[in-house]
Amino acid sequence: MTTNSKAPAHVNHPTHVRLDTSDKIIRTVTYIFVGLFSLICVLPFWMIVASSFSSESAIRLTGFTLWPSEVSTYSYELLLRSPDQMIGAYVVTICLAVVGTAIGLFIISMTGYALQRKDFPYRNGIMFYIYFTSLFSAGLVPFYLLIVQTLNLRDSYFAILLPLLMSPWLIVLMKNFVKAIPHEITESGKIDGAGDFRIFYALVLPSLKPALATIGLFLALGYWNEWYYSSLFLTSQTEYRPLQYHLYNVINKVASLRNSVAGSNVTLTTELPSETLKMATAVLATGPIILLYPFVQKYFVAGLTVGSVKG
Amino acid sequence: MKKLVALLTALMMLVCALPVLSTAEEAPAVDTSEHVTITYLVTGDIPTDRTEEVLAKINEILNEKVNATLEIRWIEWTNWTTNYNLALATQSGDIDLIGTATDWLDAWPNTQRGAFLPLTEEMLQTYAPKTWESVPAEHWDLCKYNGEIYLIPEDNYAQWTNHGFMYRGDWAREAGLENGVHSWEDLGVYFQYIKDNKEGVWPWDADGNGSSYSPQMAGGWQASHTSNIVIEGFPVSLFYGNSKEDPYTLSRYYLEGDELVNFAKTMKSWADAGYWRTDVLNYTGAQDSLMKEGTSAARQHHTETWTGFRTDMEEAQPGSDLGFFFFGEETDNLVSLNITHGAMAVAYTSEHPDRALMVYDLLRNDPEIYRLMMYGIEGDMYTIDENGYMVRPEGFDSTTDGVTLNFWWGRNDDLGLRDADRDWEAIDELYARYDEIATTYPYGQIVFDLTNIQVYLDNISNVYNTYMPRIVFGLMDDPEAYVAEFRTQLQNAGIETVMEEIQNQLDAVYKQ
Amino acid sequence: MVKSQKAVTNGLHTYRRPPLGRTLMQNKTLLLMCLPAIVFFFVFSYMPMPGAYIAFTNFQYNKGIWNSPFIGLQNFKFLFTSGQLGLLLRNTILYNLAFIVLGNVLQLLFAILLNEVQSKGFKKTTQSLMFLPYFISDVLVSLLVYNLLNYDYGFISNLVRNLGGEMPIVYQMPQAWPFIIVAVNLWKSTGYGTVVYFAAITSMDSSMMEAAQIDGANGFQRIRYITLPTLKPTVVILFLFAIGGILKGNFGLFYNLVGNNSILFNTTDIIETYVYRSMMNSFNFSQSSAVGLFQSVVGFFIVLGANAFVKKLDSDYALF
Repeated sequence: MTTNSKAPAHVNHPTHVRLDTSDKIIRTVTYIFVGLFSLICVLPFWMIVASSFSSESAIRLTGFTLWPSEVSTYSYELLLRSPDQMIGAYVVTICLAVVGTAIGLFIISMTGYALQRKDFPYRNGIMFYIYFTSLFSAGLVPFYLLIVQTLNLRDSYFAILLPLLMSPWLIVLMKNFVKAIPHEITESGKIDGAGDFRIFYALVLPSLKPALATIGLFLALGYWNEWYYSSLFLTSQTEYRPLQYHLYNVINKVASLRNSVAGSNVTLTTELPSETLKMATAVLATGPIILLYPFVQKYFVAGLTVGSVKG
Repeated sequence: MKKLVALLTALMMLVCALPVLSTAEEAPAVDTSEHVTITYLVTGDIPTDRTEEVLAKINEILNEKVNATLEIRWIEWTNWTTNYNLALATQSGDIDLIGTATDWLDAWPNTQRGAFLPLTEEMLQTYAPKTWESVPAEHWDLCKYNGEIYLIPEDNYAQWTNHGFMYRGDWAREAGLENGVHSWEDLGVYFQYIKDNKEGVWPWDADGNGSSYSPQMAGGWQASHTSNIVIEGFPVSLFYGNSKEDPYTLSRYYLEGDELVNFAKTMKSWADAGYWRTDVLNYTGAQDSLMKEGTSAARQHHTETWTGFRTDMEEAQPGSDLGFFFFGEETDNLVSLNITHGAMAVAYTSEHPDRALMVYDLLRNDPEIYRLMMYGIEGDMYTIDENGYMVRPEGFDSTTDGVTLNFWWGRNDDLGLRDADRDWEAIDELYARYDEIATTYPYGQIVFDLTNIQVYLDNISNVYNTYMPRIVFGLMDDPEAYVAEFRTQLQNAGIETVMEEIQNQLDAVYKQ
Repeated sequence: MVKSQKAVTNGLHTYRRPPLGRTLMQNKTLLLMCLPAIVFFFVFSYMPMPGAYIAFTNFQYNKGIWNSPFIGLQNFKFLFTSGQLGLLLRNTILYNLAFIVLGNVLQLLFAILLNEVQSKGFKKTTQSLMFLPYFISDVLVSLLVYNLLNYDYGFISNLVRNLGGEMPIVYQMPQAWPFIIVAVNLWKSTGYGTVVYFAAITSMDSSMMEAAQIDGANGFQRIRYITLPTLKPTVVILFLFAIGGILKGNFGLFYNLVGNNSILFNTTDIIETYVYRSMMNSFNFSQSSAVGLFQSVVGFFIVLGANAFVKKLDSDYALF
């Protein structure tokens, strides 16, 4: 469907509409500007990759370079020495992200749809009820008590899955996306006598693909980058802990110690993570999601609303 | 919720009170028919070595002796301050034993907040008889708050966590310091020699990005140039007693006098000479690996670290002959470690404080359990050589083959083994010197009540944490003016009020 | 809610509010559709919320939040007596404003420009690359910045020296850091933020765009008259959301970049870092709750104001 509705516009573009100077200017500016910014984004990351293959002493004395002066795969060997942990972390994170994103998307889009209906009298009230939570939070102790004592979720993946299901921001964003759907779509449903849920499910949802892709992406990223709840609630094991938490521990342990009184009292007997190890973990954690991103992207390529109105 | 909490609290109190009442009347025949799990809260990373296997063995014995299983709740180093305090604040019978310390784990503030269960003498006598016997009465006195015992001290374990500089003996000799570094002046000579003669080596490649250097370095200079003694129990290291002869009068070192200015001047000259990186305050290099790789010539940490690191360095840089210059060496100003530098407490909500104490008593005093916990399985993970030293097997890698229980709250020298790897000759020599000059920590009897001065202390902490890092690494144009500014800011933050209050509390306890 | 009631009473005199039961019944499905979200926020946000009372107590672990002694505004005191509040507010607000304004401008710009690009490959590649920095944790970001800018071995320092220049000691130049921090923040967040606008553009009614093209509108005109207006609601919503957090700083970013380098504090100290320095060795839940509450209350009033303002301009765009 994406390509069907889009292809003609693309093919027709150069023939139907002449390219005037302003288009050319925009295009040139775009290539330069966007290209440059992408370079700025990728260069530091490249430095991380390069230094993850460096020897530790080379980094210490010369800083980061664009190419490792002494190539060493020691960090990766160290990381992959216990691959079980890494694989387990991946499995857990992917499962959490898939399940959480699916449930979250469904609820968010449903709520977003209801809240943008002008004929829904409680929409402002509910909207305020939801928005209010983004301003005020109870603070750490009450929230911790809720999860651990009221809900009894210590050492349960639900303690991570549930709090990340939705956020006021994503609901408002969704509401906005639904609002942008042409009225003809929902009107046609009403004329057919379909119920609210049916209109939502059969007519609105299919025309929401870019929105679902966007918000789905944000939800998935939320799960992917999660370490905070894990550090609070997953306390009993090292296997099968979410990926970012695993990495966060590697990267932040020393910093946490250095910045506290324990730093002047405790001597860690285990080997401290070196700079190169930190880099290598970052590469292993970031790599896969970069590969995933193009799949999500295809939904951003063109407007789908046209297709569903016409079709 | 309110009711629930109240109910829960009441229930806990009932549960806690019961065993005490019953034992007061009966003989110490303890009923252990019910199997219980005792959870022990400890700071440290979840081990990936053979700890689980060893713990299973320990539990076999515990099961047999007191019908209890030991479970460990780790507070990992990442975000440990928050998580440790959260665990104490939100306990609901889920933890029983808590590893704590008065100097680095806020044992007294947490006692004041009600995190721990007061331990009666009867409880200790009944359930932890061996511990009760081995800790002398004057030591128990140091564990009391409002007349009740809250902590079980680690008082039979020789260790020194006084700070100083580790330096390479081989390079010190090259620098003309035949006997090594024994003063800040020597240290300056050593650093300058490294700077001039060792290409690619920083005299001290310090990771100044962090807060722990401030009190260590500033306090270190102070120890070496005055007779002041630090008073523990404050969020900021600004309160010192005058001297061992006059410990209960507060020193005004940080408010007036030239010594702090001298410190700032010296550090500035060291910074200008390039003994550490220009951007030291934002540098995060790992100190141990820097030294092992030979790119840093010094490391600042405590004696206990040095005892192990000397061996590591000998391996990484053969002939390095790692020495230790301890702060206060010039003036013989050394205070022995407070016995509550490590201590065990029982959680306020523990449902089985009796059994928790029984388990602790075994961990601390049962030779078999103690050695399992500290060293692992004998014959497999270590052997004892003819001199009674502990020897690890060939190819032993502590990260995968060791045991990590971080039991820093009741180690016992009567049962402990010396690691054959360490250079005991050098260590004993230093320890002998320490024993000769050290004074006992003079403030063990007092637990400060900070309620009325907390606001000032917070502001003072901020001033200290703002100014001290720059003084320590000499990053200012005019040391004299900068110290003066620091002192003015301390005054503005209310340090006089705080010192008055502390002096009053000291007087109340020590000046009859 | 209040507003809608008012509208009803101000409206036709003959019109009577339908009984609550009937309104509920009529909107049964829509209400049910909102129910999961309502329950979610009730459990995870409203249920613990009364616990914010902790900010007014001297929290005693053995007594719990509700039985701890009430001490009024004592916990708020240290922030107000610090003498630093003015500086902290200035820094926190100015940084947030810079992040919001510059961030959104950049994100809008990239979204619009990318939309004009025809080459699919270019579009996809650049978007993916722009997303990269988002994944780099603050600790690594600070390590990167250090390795670029440090005086002794920094990448840029080396470059400048090789070109015969004089490298300033960046870590001792407070005036440079607002630029560095804002740049780092933009670098980190632009890829992520662009997605929102990009999705908004792609979900707009493309028949309008086609019509405009056929009518001969040039590139600038299309952007000015079609793309930008479509994005207006998204801009407003983003702004309203961001403004509520105007007093809340990104601790991880600031703390990792600046650390305890007090030479830079004048231009880099925000509320979070100050609180951290004041309390790092005296852990106190009540005080941190108090600071959070203060930030929330101020944010709340700012949002109320901003929302009312937006509502006046166009009630469609308001949040509630």
